[in-house]
Amino acid sequence: MFELFSFGENGWGDEILDGVAITAQLAIATLPIGLFIGFIVAFAAMSKNKPLRAIGYGYTTLMRGLPEILTLFVVYNGAGLLLNTIIKWWNVDAQPIDFSPFIAGVIALAMVFGAFSAEVLRGAFNALDEGQVEAGRAVGMSPNVIFWRIKLPQIWRFALPGLGNLWINMLKDTSLVSIIALNDLMRMTKVAVAFTKQPFTFYLVACLIYWLMSLLSEIILAKMEQNANRGIMRV
Amino acid sequence: MDSLEIIIKYWPKLLDGTLMTLKLTFLSVLVAAIISPFLALTRANASPMVQAPLRLYISFIRGTPILAQLFLIYYGSGQFRPILQEWGLWSFFRDPFNCALLTFVLNTTAYQTEILRGGIMGVNRGEIEAGKALGMNKLRILQRIVFPHAYRIAWPALGNEIILMMKASALASVVTIFDILGRTRQIFSRTFDFSIYLWAAILYLCITAIFVLIWRQAELRLNKHIAPSDHLSADKK
Amino acid sequence: MSKTDVILEANDIYKSFGNVEVLKGISLEAKNREVISILGASGSGKSTFLRCLNFLEIPTSGTISVHGELVDIVNGKPVNPKHIEAIRSRLGMVFQQFNLWTHRTAIENVMEGPIYVKKIPKNLAREKAESLLERVGLKDRMHMYPSQLSGGQQQRVAIARALAMEPDAILFDEPTSALDPELVGEVLKVMQSLAAEGRTMIVVTHEMAFARDVSSKVVFFHAGKIAEQGTPDEMFNNPKTEVFQKFISKI
Repeated sequence: MFELFSFGENGWGDEILDGVAITAQLAIATLPIGLFIGFIVAFAAMSKNKPLRAIGYGYTTLMRGLPEILTLFVVYNGAGLLLNTIIKWWNVDAQPIDFSPFIAGVIALAMVFGAFSAEVLRGAFNALDEGQVEAGRAVGMSPNVIFWRIKLPQIWRFALPGLGNLWINMLKDTSLVSIIALNDLMRMTKVAVAFTKQPFTFYLVACLIYWLMSLLSEIILAKMEQNANRGIMRV
Repeated sequence: MDSLEIIIKYWPKLLDGTLMTLKLTFLSVLVAAIISPFLALTRANASPMVQAPLRLYISFIRGTPILAQLFLIYYGSGQFRPILQEWGLWSFFRDPFNCALLTFVLNTTAYQTEILRGGIMGVNRGEIEAGKALGMNKLRILQRIVFPHAYRIAWPALGNEIILMMKASALASVVTIFDILGRTRQIFSRTFDFSIYLWAAILYLCITAIFVLIWRQAELRLNKHIAPSDHLSADKK
Repeated sequence: MSKTDVILEANDIYKSFGNVEVLKGISLEAKNREVISILGASGSGKSTFLRCLNFLEIPTSGTISVHGELVDIVNGKPVNPKHIEAIRSRLGMVFQQFNLWTHRTAIENVMEGPIYVKKIPKNLAREKAESLLERVGLKDRMHMYPSQLSGGQQQRVAIARALAMEPDAILFDEPTSALDPELVGEVLKVMQSLAAEGRTMIVVTHEMAFARDVSSKVVFFHAGKIAEQGTPDEMFNNPKTEVFQKFISKI
């Protein structure tokens, strides 16, 4: 049985490892974009401007209410359609092109991650004690310095557990991208199953790999939280 | 065909899909709601040895994608076909609906167990001691003190979990079940009209919105004892 | 006394929150080396006034100048807002709730302002912070986080933080009100030594002994106005207004 997972001609080890690499790339590419969207949406939802606030709240409510896989289909099919319409506009004779599933995956996952992380970040901003900011103003710090030196480190501490959960959820959600034909871990497993006719063995291995990635993330996150919580440890 | 004609032509299919989504969600949540109190009690009280397999199960479910769990059961069962046929279980696993339901039950049971365990741990020890002092037996204490409190504490988180389950049920469409998303993909493949996805989105949002309203009403009733205005008016009577 | 001796000057400060007028035209100047105690019942506007001095609250109208940096406020808007951060960096502030940055150690709290506002090199800021923490008696605690310090220790770090900016004057907003009674003394002792050093201080306080024995001038707020002011001797031995008589007789 171990031969099945060996590397090279006879085994599926290298194919599955390729899939793992795609999965990891997908998650790592999504994280900064998703966080960026999260900050923008959180700022919009906390803004004094009413229409902007409505957009912020509307976005989080919408994205959190939709199944992730539906968002993925909408982005993949919708953006593909839009892209081809634009190309047709440009040049009527152009061949329709395929929208890259990787980019569609990153956009869809980042949109979802952005909505959920906006809620976490908003909560963290609310948890920030106004006195901390006032103390910064009182020594004459500019709003910019206050944001980077006081607000952000404290928000980071409040938001880290929530963001950590979202990261693990997103890592798992990358599996959805296999449905739109991206060769991630899930998809490569499917290919292996088609050849070997051993679905249980291979899907179990896929599950174990995801599990391992989740557990690894948890360990790293616990370390990061410990680090971020230096200041509030009770003696 | 324009978008309006499409929705007029296909709405019975979408309605059919909506009922399937509701059925899948309701059944999996219901079965999990029956099992999870027992598991939660075990998680809260049992010895580490007894808990070990339960913790492993919960960690596995939480650490793996629900899509992978679904494939493991739906496709994976095929590997054991001869044995399953021998035991008379093959007809169960051959049906994608059963496999989806089983996956969702296993999945949401794990999450509900952890949420309910949190509720149980949050119950004030003093109130349990007061029950003991009155001579209540263990079952009575669970039934009259521990669970009523635990469910109140866990209620909002349980509501969230049910919404997550409803959203996750859309994965059933991947194993050929015609729920909302399944119908939507079917209609899209025939019409290539993108607006059908927007109708699906509206349906999912409506289900979530209605559920949130119902759940909150139920929460208000559960928490009557701590709502200050009700409390005062009850005192005056 | 020449004009250059005046460090801080507030002129005709008004402040309203919505329809409630909290400050009704307050003028006050602080000369070099002066220690001013502001007394008054809660709700008299004394804390609001202090917070207006470094623009943590923006007054509705009035002018505030610190060492020549002048800010004129019309209709709740500073006419020359660029001076605000300059004024703030010249005034130290000690809060009732300490407001130490919880994510930084004692010494980091003291170094933060010099490094990021005054742009002083890190090693110099560190040396300075160490000597200031020694000055408030906390050198051995300098690497602890605020949550690991008692209230009195936190407030002493906050004082060191204010001193690190080398302010022209220090504002104290009820610095001992949030402390357990047995911790009040250590903070007052530090404040007293600052006064003896010749620091200019404006202190909103309920500590009558401090007002009487340490300050050079006492100002009594009542209903958003200055009801009475003078030297501690005049004020405590010979109160002129009925409201102030009533106020000190209660204590």
